[in-house]
Amino acid sequence: MKVLRTLVIALFLVVGCLPLIWLGITAFKHHPDTITSSAKFLPVPGAPIAGDGIAFSPTLEGFEHLAEPHPGVEFSFLDHLLNSIIIGVASTLASVALGTSCAYGFSRFRIPGAKDWLFFVLSTRFMPPLAVVAPVLIMYRALDLPNTHLGLIVLYTAFNLSLSVWLMKGFIDEIPRAYEESALVDGYSRASAFFRIILPHARTGMAVTAVFCLISAWNEFGFAMTLNNAGAVTVPVYFAGLQGNTNGVPWPQIAAGALIFVIPIVVFTVLVRDHLLRGVTFGTIKQ
Amino acid sequence: MKKESPLLKVGFVAPTLLFLITFNLYPLLYNIVLSFTNKQLSQDEYEFIGGHNYQAIFDAASNPKFGQALRTTAEFVLFAVSLELVLGFCLALCMQAKFRGKPLVLTLLLMPMMLSPAVMGLFWNLILSAHNGILNQVLGGAGLPTPHWLTEPSLKLCAVLLVDVWMWTPYMMLIALAGLNAIPGYIYEAAEIDRASRFTVFRRITLPMCAPLLLLAVLFRATDALKQFDLVMALTGPNDTSTQTLSALLYQLTFANQKVGLGSAYACIVLVLVIALATVFTRYLDWLATKRQGA
Repeated sequence: MKVLRTLVIALFLVVGCLPLIWLGITAFKHHPDTITSSAKFLPVPGAPIAGDGIAFSPTLEGFEHLAEPHPGVEFSFLDHLLNSIIIGVASTLASVALGTSCAYGFSRFRIPGAKDWLFFVLSTRFMPPLAVVAPVLIMYRALDLPNTHLGLIVLYTAFNLSLSVWLMKGFIDEIPRAYEESALVDGYSRASAFFRIILPHARTGMAVTAVFCLISAWNEFGFAMTLNNAGAVTVPVYFAGLQGNTNGVPWPQIAAGALIFVIPIVVFTVLVRDHLLRGVTFGTIKQ
Repeated sequence: MKKESPLLKVGFVAPTLLFLITFNLYPLLYNIVLSFTNKQLSQDEYEFIGGHNYQAIFDAASNPKFGQALRTTAEFVLFAVSLELVLGFCLALCMQAKFRGKPLVLTLLLMPMMLSPAVMGLFWNLILSAHNGILNQVLGGAGLPTPHWLTEPSLKLCAVLLVDVWMWTPYMMLIALAGLNAIPGYIYEAAEIDRASRFTVFRRITLPMCAPLLLLAVLFRATDALKQFDLVMALTGPNDTSTQTLSALLYQLTFANQKVGLGSAYACIVLVLVIALATVFTRYLDWLATKRQGA
C-alpha cells in the first residue's frame, strides 16, 4: 500500500513539474537543440549543437535578446513585462484597498440585503470575459481607454474585487469585534478604529489577498487580448502573437521569457502556500 | 461611544458595489441591448433589428457553428471536470498520509494551477509537437503510439483537455484533501472496531463525508471550464472546428467577423447558461454555510 502510494505521488510530481522543468531547460538551449527528435536534457558545455544524444551545450542566447524587439515590432519582451508589472501592481493595490473596506462594511454592519450583495459580488467572477468584452470595448472607446494601462487596471480591479471582498471578509470575520469596540469606547472614531486596529490585524489577510489578485491579473488573457492589442500589451498577449510564425518559433527566447514571467508566480505560490486552499476557493473553505 | 451616522456603512461598501455595477452589470445590460442591433465593431452607427440575431442563431441549418461550439464546450467541461475529479481525488487519498517533506511536495504539486494558461499553453505546443515534442519521445520510448496531437482533428480537443487536466487536477486534489482531513479520526476508529472492510469504510464514510466539498470543487471548476478560452487560443487558435468553444466562437464573431450585434446575441445565451450555473453554485454555497453553522 505504501509503495503504491509513493509511486502515485511520484508519478504526479514528475508529470506536474516536468513541463516547468522542461521550460527551464529549454531556456538555456540553442535554437536547433530545442527541436531535435531526441530529447536533450543534459547540459554539457561544449557539446555539439544539434548533435546526436542527450547532451546540449548550455547558452544564455535566449536571454540576450529579450531586451531587443523582434524584427518588425516596436517593443521587446522587457517592455511588455513592464506593462504587466504596472497593470498587475496598480490593479492589485486598488482591489485590495476597495475589497478590504467593503469586506469590513459587510463584516461589521447590518447592511440590508447583505447576503444578496455578497453573492452578486461573487457572481461577477463567473462572467466569461469574452461574453462581456464587446460592450466594455465600446464603453472604453468612448472614454479613450483601449490600449492604455489605466483601462486594464480598472478592469482587473473590477474583476478581482469578487476575490478580494470574499477573501478579506473571511479574514476580517476572524478578528474579534471586541478589539475595535473597546477602541470605540475609548473615543476612537470608526475610521481611526478601522485604520489603527483592524488593518494591522488584517495584515496577513491583505498580503495573501494581494498575492492572489496579482497572480490573476498577471495571468489574465481574454480581456488583455481584446482590449490591449496595440498598446500597453501584457506578456501573455505578446506571447500569443509570437505563435504565428511556425517556421522559426524562437523557442529558447520564448522559454527564457516565460521562465522570467513564471518565476515570480512560483515564488509567490511558495510564500502563500499555507493559504492556497482559501485563496482558490474565495475563502469559502478554510483549513 | 458616539452614535454613528447610518451613512458610515454606506461609505465602506458603496465604492466597491458602484465599481462592480459600472464595470460588470452595465456591460451585461448593454450587451442585451446590443443583441437586438446590427452593430459592427468598427462602425459607430447601427440599427435595431428586433429578434433577427436570435432567429439567425436558432436557425440551425444556416448556422451549424453554435450547436457545434455548444457541444464542444459541453464535452470539454464534462471530460475535464470528471477526469480532474477522479485523478485529484486519487491523489488526495495518497497525500492523506503523513510523510517527510509533505509540505514541499504539496506546494510543488499545486504549482501548475497558479501558472498562466496562455503562456504555459504556448509552451505546451513544443511539448506536444509530433516529432520533436518530449511527450511523444517518452511515449515512443515506452513503445506506445505517438499521435499528432495538434494536427489530427480528432485529437486536438484531447490535447486541450490534457493541458487543462495537467493544470487543474491539483485544484481538485487540494479541495479533496481538505475534505479528507476534515473527517474526524474517531469515525475511522469506530469503523475499525466494527470490523468494517476497507471498501466499506471508503464507500460509507470517506466518500459521503467528502462529497459536499467535492461538489463545491466540481461547481468551481465547471464554471471555470465553461469559460475556456486561453488554452484553445494557445493550442489551436480560435477558429478550429474541433476545439471551438463558446468563448472562442464569441471571439471569432466579435473580433474577426466584427459582428458585435450577433456576437452579443450569442453572449446573451451563454450568459443565461452561466447565470443558471452560478445560481446553483451560490445557492449551494449558502446551503453549505448554513449547514455548517448548524453543526
